[in-house]
Amino acid sequence: MMKSSICACISLLLVTWLTAGWAQAQVPAPDEPTYRIAKQLNCPTCAGRNLADCPTETCAQWKAEIKAQLDAGKSAEEVLAYFQDRFGPTVLQEPPKSGITAPLWAAPVGAAVVFLAIAGLVMWRTAQRGAPSPASDGTDAHDPFVAALEREVRAGE
Amino acid sequence: MRTTHLSPRWSAKCAPESEGQVKGRSLLVAGVSTGIILIAGIFFVALNLVMQQGARPAPGSPAPDFTLKLYPGYRAGLPEEIRLSDLRGNVVVINFWASWCVECHKEAQALENVHRAYMDRGVVVLGIDYLDTEAPALAYLKQYDVTYPNGIDLQQRIAKAYRITGVPETFFIDRDGIVREVVVAPLTEAQLRAKIEALIED
Repeated sequence: MMKSSICACISLLLVTWLTAGWAQAQVPAPDEPTYRIAKQLNCPTCAGRNLADCPTETCAQWKAEIKAQLDAGKSAEEVLAYFQDRFGPTVLQEPPKSGITAPLWAAPVGAAVVFLAIAGLVMWRTAQRGAPSPASDGTDAHDPFVAALEREVRAGE
Repeated sequence: MRTTHLSPRWSAKCAPESEGQVKGRSLLVAGVSTGIILIAGIFFVALNLVMQQGARPAPGSPAPDFTLKLYPGYRAGLPEEIRLSDLRGNVVVINFWASWCVECHKEAQALENVHRAYMDRGVVVLGIDYLDTEAPALAYLKQYDVTYPNGIDLQQRIAKAYRITGVPETFFIDRDGIVREVVVAPLTEAQLRAKIEALIED
């Protein structure tokens, strides 16, 4: 029973791998400029998939549009601007760093700064607490913890 | 010599922290604080995105207004750019479609037939082309001899306002601009006629 389940799983994985390889092979090899531009765009229907590597009908149409515009003499920037104007900034693999998404781009840098600031502050405060007061014999007379400790030591003597 | 023994609570507190412990504690505090700030930031951005999107207009709610730039040759006597609110007083059938959508092809002829049948009875069928490039879209319209007004949903603004999840999707709007029904599937001509008749008779 266990063996047959393992065999079934391995067969399923093998079939999936082979099918994926076949599907990948169906993506037509585009000419270089079209491919480079398509790499900068998202497939409009498959979440998170690159336009250049997607074999769907929608993506085939979009790649044909890129090629047609390049053949008509448009630059890569103009083609990308066309797609952004027509379909919105979400078609770009790297959306503009502005608007509501700006905090997401700034987040890693901000997080590093906040992390270093908090770590530095905590270390500095800990070091300050551990350092002896220069005006005393190493104890802080105003510290209630030290005073209580001294009382207990004296009581024990 | 007398030895003084401290109670356990003092000896535990008096044990000096090693440098490694201090660093470890600092990094832990910093990590936790940074994590909280990051999660709060991501929550803020996500909340804003959700609020921008809004909810799908449910039956009984007003249809979100929009402007649509119509394709040349597919204006059916309307201006180049129309507003939904300008069509108030008509029953409006808004159909989201795309040339790459296999299911849309199945209902294209039915939509054109009902447009021809009801255009003189205060019914406007409005095609909204979603995530489509122009050449295949125009080829699609030509293939089905479409004459009802059709235009491109620039920047997916209308799709976002109506919160569509794919194509085809059809919204039936009454004469007062209220959404009466949403269908997330291809429609047959009989289904279209039945729904339009019901809205005309209302």
